[in-house]
Amino acid sequence: MTPAGSLLMADDLHKSYGPTPALDGAEFSIHPGEVVAVMGPSGSGKSTLLHCLAGIVRPDSGSVHYGGRELSTMSDSERSSLRRGEFGFVFQFGQLVPELTCGENVALPLRLNGVKRKEAEARSLSWMERLEVADVAHKRPGEVSGGQGQRVAVARSLVTGPRVLFADEPTGALDSLNGERVMELLTEAARETRTAVVLVTHEARVAAYSDREVVVRDGKARDMAGAR
Amino acid sequence: MSGPDDGHAGPDDGHTGTSGRTGQATLTAVPPRPPAPEEPPQRPGITRWAADLAMGGRFAVTGGRESWARTIMTAVGVGLGVTLLLFAASVPTMDSARTERSNAIAAFGFGEEPEPGPGTVHVAQANTDFRDMDISGVVLAPDGSRPPHPPGISGVPAAGEMYVSPALKKLLDSDEGKLLRDRFPYRVAGVIGDSGLSGPTELRYYAGITPKQFDSVPSSYHLDSWGAQDTSGDELDPALVLLVVIGCVVLLLPVLIFIATAARFGGERRDRRLAALRLVGADIHMTRRIAAGESLFGSVLGLAVGATLFLLLREAVGGASMMGLSFFTSDITPSFPLALAIVVTVPASAVAVTLIALRAIAIEPLGVVRNATPKRRRLWWRLLLPLLGIGLLAPLAGGFGVGSSGGDFQSYQAAAGAALLLIGTTALLPWLVESVVERFGKGPVPWLLATRRLQLSSGTAARAVSGITVAVAGAIALQMLFGSVEGQSTEETNQDPNRAQLMMNIKVDNGAQARDAFDRLGAAKGVRSVLEITEGSISDAHSKAKDPADIPTNSLTVAGCPALRELAHITSCRDGDAFIVTRDPEYTGPDNAFAKPGAQVNVAFDDEGMPTPGKQKLWTVPRSAKKVESREDPNGALHSGIFATPGAFDISDLANPQAVAMLRLDPKVPDADEYVRNASVTITPTLDVTQITSSSQSSEFQTIRNVLFIGATSTLLLIGASMIVTTLEQLRDRKRLLSVLVAFGTRRSTLSWSILWQTAVPVVLGLALSIAGGLALGVLLLKMVGEGIAVDWAGLAAMTGIGAGVILVVTLASLPPLWRMMRPEGLRTE
Repeated sequence: MTPAGSLLMADDLHKSYGPTPALDGAEFSIHPGEVVAVMGPSGSGKSTLLHCLAGIVRPDSGSVHYGGRELSTMSDSERSSLRRGEFGFVFQFGQLVPELTCGENVALPLRLNGVKRKEAEARSLSWMERLEVADVAHKRPGEVSGGQGQRVAVARSLVTGPRVLFADEPTGALDSLNGERVMELLTEAARETRTAVVLVTHEARVAAYSDREVVVRDGKARDMAGAR
Repeated sequence: MSGPDDGHAGPDDGHTGTSGRTGQATLTAVPPRPPAPEEPPQRPGITRWAADLAMGGRFAVTGGRESWARTIMTAVGVGLGVTLLLFAASVPTMDSARTERSNAIAAFGFGEEPEPGPGTVHVAQANTDFRDMDISGVVLAPDGSRPPHPPGISGVPAAGEMYVSPALKKLLDSDEGKLLRDRFPYRVAGVIGDSGLSGPTELRYYAGITPKQFDSVPSSYHLDSWGAQDTSGDELDPALVLLVVIGCVVLLLPVLIFIATAARFGGERRDRRLAALRLVGADIHMTRRIAAGESLFGSVLGLAVGATLFLLLREAVGGASMMGLSFFTSDITPSFPLALAIVVTVPASAVAVTLIALRAIAIEPLGVVRNATPKRRRLWWRLLLPLLGIGLLAPLAGGFGVGSSGGDFQSYQAAAGAALLLIGTTALLPWLVESVVERFGKGPVPWLLATRRLQLSSGTAARAVSGITVAVAGAIALQMLFGSVEGQSTEETNQDPNRAQLMMNIKVDNGAQARDAFDRLGAAKGVRSVLEITEGSISDAHSKAKDPADIPTNSLTVAGCPALRELAHITSCRDGDAFIVTRDPEYTGPDNAFAKPGAQVNVAFDDEGMPTPGKQKLWTVPRSAKKVESREDPNGALHSGIFATPGAFDISDLANPQAVAMLRLDPKVPDADEYVRNASVTITPTLDVTQITSSSQSSEFQTIRNVLFIGATSTLLLIGASMIVTTLEQLRDRKRLLSVLVAFGTRRSTLSWSILWQTAVPVVLGLALSIAGGLALGVLLLKMVGEGIAVDWAGLAAMTGIGAGVILVVTLASLPPLWRMMRPEGLRTE
């Protein structure tokens, strides 16, 4: 697939942590509503690529364009604002605020965006219903199962209506049944809302939910278009 | 994992492999079952305890960076607390060493004064001040060949020589002491040794003068030995005793709380490691003992850190002066029983705190489970403690320190009551925080994050604040007691520093000497005017009394009109006038009856101060003498008798005159009072210049106040340090979560505000509780010393402000690490 019409595009990304290069000329692009799996062995640079694409980490060189804007030229607060409004995130673990209820966790990004509490609660409940976790809205993350917690996290990532959802090993801590259910719900909701999904995983079973696969090896990303 | 008796073959069992491969099923080929390893012998309880504690100790150092970090945090925390405790334990030694030396150098003339002889020395106190520094001094001259000499010097200094303390020598040699040098017209013959000083920064001198110079000394005496009897038997004022007792409780309780908090540093991470031990077979009791072992190791290391810090700081504190108090390094030695108590109780407390903390936690093989729905904190036993405290304090109302018996018992009762009331206040805090925060719910995101966090772990927040609560509650109570004690120990002197600033009593033989002394003082730099007063006596010239002691006498004060106006309500005055001054215009006692206008009076007195009826020197009180009322002089004294201007009475006719100079200084001349003191040495070597001040404070009170201030500051700093560690620990535990929050665009300000709220809510509740507890304790203490209830609002505001300030500092100190942890690097797991 050509980068034309891309929502998010990275070119010649380099990033090192100390002497170790994590990215070495990686390239990436994604279109609206597209689900792209970023695959590769442990330590290959998958997560670093995701962090660079999301504007969490600045690459040492190279560029990331989103909506016609170069992320590295944006200030920290501009990138934070972009992440609050345009992006959503799901991580493998440790992402829900333990002291807030699941409902409050889902409403949190809306509240951070200044949405009124009642409206935020209503919208979060609707997403939780969609992800089949409305019944745990008043429970704390420590009181729900791993699969439920991960679906709460997916609801939280989608509640703001992001244009890009970044999912870093979203099923890594789940058993296969729960993992598949999470992936079904995630990709279904994303396709319905035309949200692009950058899905970092090393599991082929999870990557199977994507439209396209990109393999990262030794810091280089190789498009496996039509792999499925 | 294979157990010892699970029937699996060991690697050295060749039969099984062969049998399996060949598929033969002959019974005879079944290999003999290997002997089961012997069960380890059941260890007796104490040995198992010791082994588990030792294992915990090993984990404290062999668990990698994280273990070391936790151990070091505990050791440093406990060490800081132990350092303070060791200093507190040194106070009795410091006090007794200082008192012993002070008694040894005392040159009091109490008791029977010895007759001057070969074994006596003639002495006079010659204390002076220099820029708010007190300088103790004694002038002395041997009466014979074997005079006793003061401790710390090898002999009585010869006339014109002096021995000085190292601190005074340093001051005299410095630029600052340049002005002071003129006050001591003596050659420095040597330095006073430590045994002759109460502390290393004491300013002290012994100056040798000639016997003739004692003629100008108003008060002197002879000694056959130096030193006073131990005066420690002198009872302190009960209010001061109470102040010291409560002060110790208030200062030491937060230290103990701090040590208990330090023993729990890094507890959450440790618990996760313990879960791994459960996975490999440790039972719940073993994990608790292992955790206790870790804390024990940390606290024992803390004892070592504390002892090392104490030894280092002791060197710095010894020789330093704080608020006028100084101690030799050797004085700062903990008393043995107290040191032993610290060595035993600190590690024991660390173990106890760990075991109690672990009771609320279930360490399971798959992780740590904190009670998801923790039991509600119970109020009854928390209320019991302060009520018990009140129960102990209330019976002492109005009776503390009354009667000689039971003084110690009352002190213990007061200390126990105050401790229980303060501990009870602290114990109420977790319940109060829990009860209040559970009502919080809706609000902005920072508020929501903070209150939800508090709802989940209100105990941690309350623990962090409890030290401040005790300190503030205690300080408020002390402030109230201070207000009362200050009133008791600060006496209004009735002196008026606006009318004159310095006063000097001068011993003179005649009027000419008085004139000379006034001129010397008036010539000093910065003196605007001198109120010159010469006082003597008159007697009834016509008395029929046979015994001179029975002849009525009255005083005669000779001074110029300006000075007389300072002593009596005189409206018009000219040189040549005289006045009859009464303290009370209605009073016409027999003594005053002879001293009336136109009366002849005798002004001749012998050396003993007795009238000389056979050898009279007559003076006629002017007929124009008016009767006026006495007025307090600038020094607060009332004078009466005959007042005469120099034109009415020639001061050279006055027998045994006493000159008094009151000096008005030019406020624009810096050190004017020092120039006057320097001038005074040309009049008398005892430098009898006194400052006129409107109030004077008991030195005991001032010392106690200073000690408490030093202690309170140290305690608050310690608590602040502990809170910073606790907050940083919480942040570090949430490093990944903070990074996740940043990933989805959370602003720094949102999390900063949440930290502030998270700190502020328990602090505000803690302060409210401490004000209530402090006021309750204060009221009880005031009732105990029989004082009316008065709240020192300014002091209360100051204490509350200091407590709040510490919290603000803690929050501000937490922000840089918070922001550092809000970096996306926290998301990396590889």
